[in-house]
Amino acid sequence: MQFLTNNGDLVLFVLLIILGYVAGSLAEKRHYASIRKREREMMSMPVVTFVDGYPASRVTHSQLVTGSAVISIDYFKRFLAILRNLFGGRVKSYESLIDRARREAILRMKAEAEKKGAALIVNFRLETSAIGRSANRKRQVGSVEALAYGTAVFLEQQ
Amino acid sequence: MKFTPKPVDGDVNLSGKHPLREAVWLVAELLVILALLYFVFGFVAQFVAVRLPVKAEIWIGSKLEAKYQAHTDAFLQDHLDRLVRELPADSPLHEYSFKIFLDDSKKINAFALPGGSIVVFQGLLNTVRSENELDMVLAHELGHFYHRDHLRAMGRNLLLFLVARLLPGDQSPDLVLWLAGKFERRYSQKQELAADSWGLDLLYRRYGHVGGATDFFRRLSQKNKSHLAYFLATHPHPEDRLNSLNRIIEEKHYPVGETVPFSSGQKEKLGSGAAH
Repeated sequence: MQFLTNNGDLVLFVLLIILGYVAGSLAEKRHYASIRKREREMMSMPVVTFVDGYPASRVTHSQLVTGSAVISIDYFKRFLAILRNLFGGRVKSYESLIDRARREAILRMKAEAEKKGAALIVNFRLETSAIGRSANRKRQVGSVEALAYGTAVFLEQQ
Repeated sequence: MKFTPKPVDGDVNLSGKHPLREAVWLVAELLVILALLYFVFGFVAQFVAVRLPVKAEIWIGSKLEAKYQAHTDAFLQDHLDRLVRELPADSPLHEYSFKIFLDDSKKINAFALPGGSIVVFQGLLNTVRSENELDMVLAHELGHFYHRDHLRAMGRNLLLFLVARLLPGDQSPDLVLWLAGKFERRYSQKQELAADSWGLDLLYRRYGHVGGATDFFRRLSQKNKSHLAYFLATHPHPEDRLNSLNRIIEEKHYPVGETVPFSSGQKEKLGSGAAH
């Protein structure tokens, strides 16, 4: 008991790591399941990075659509990344973070376009950024934002 | 160009390995490197500690003292000076001019700083009940100076601190120092026992007997029954110190005389806790 009280910092640190691992993996697993399911559902809407590629004569109008997602790092991922910083190499713990943010952002953008009745999205772009100054500050757990945007193209019905 | 919808198969952007496996590997690598560094640094510190001239040590000490917020105490200084006068004429400790500082914190502790400064915490003063006991504590700290333990410890800690600072992340310094403490344990417990033994000899020179030498540790060991808390401590369990002191007293046939209680005026100076 005395050991626990004397090393409060360390105990807290270990608890946060465990919490980060358990909660983080659970959230990630569920998120990925949802991402895969929705990606399949919305597969039929093309999202392309080039500007043309649609029958221009049938276009009624076009409009900006955006989707963004913010995903937070958990303590365990952060701990892994800190260790990675020492040795170098791929920061694997952050890869899934960025991947989820990106795919989620695209899905949300597609969802918006679909709701509005667009047929496809052209000139699709993707940005990522660290959210808030806390991302680089001590004793803070940062998060990453992915922003997907593009031009939703609406076609007249045949 | 025709658009053909296709599901995204697999996650090319993810490295598949299990994160726990990665964590275990990275931690293991880090530990091995740190352990190696620690022993190299310890060796260097040891090497320097026994060769560093007292003058250089006093210079280092003057730098540290400025950072340490504590006040001097005439009563304690007097006790310390009397102990130093009892040292043999050829003792290397005469090169120092020892100064004692009182820290108001309630911790039951005292430590030696490079250059001849001893810091005593109020909590310790509240625990001691006789002049002999206080002198035993001070003599123990002088023993650290004689063995130059404070320099050894400082050398290691300084280097460790540097490593800890270099690591990214805010928890890592704590983590490194905590781990280092585990390595340090055996090593420093041995130093503590050696300083106890040295202090005992000085106490004998001062009073002609060693009464009061063990009282302090006996009281502490009654207070802290658990040995578990001392498993990771830098100091041995008071009971172990008590036993080792008793063994030396027996071996050297030191007489155990009556202790000199503090006079009432001195008690007040030592703080209210000394009265009970």
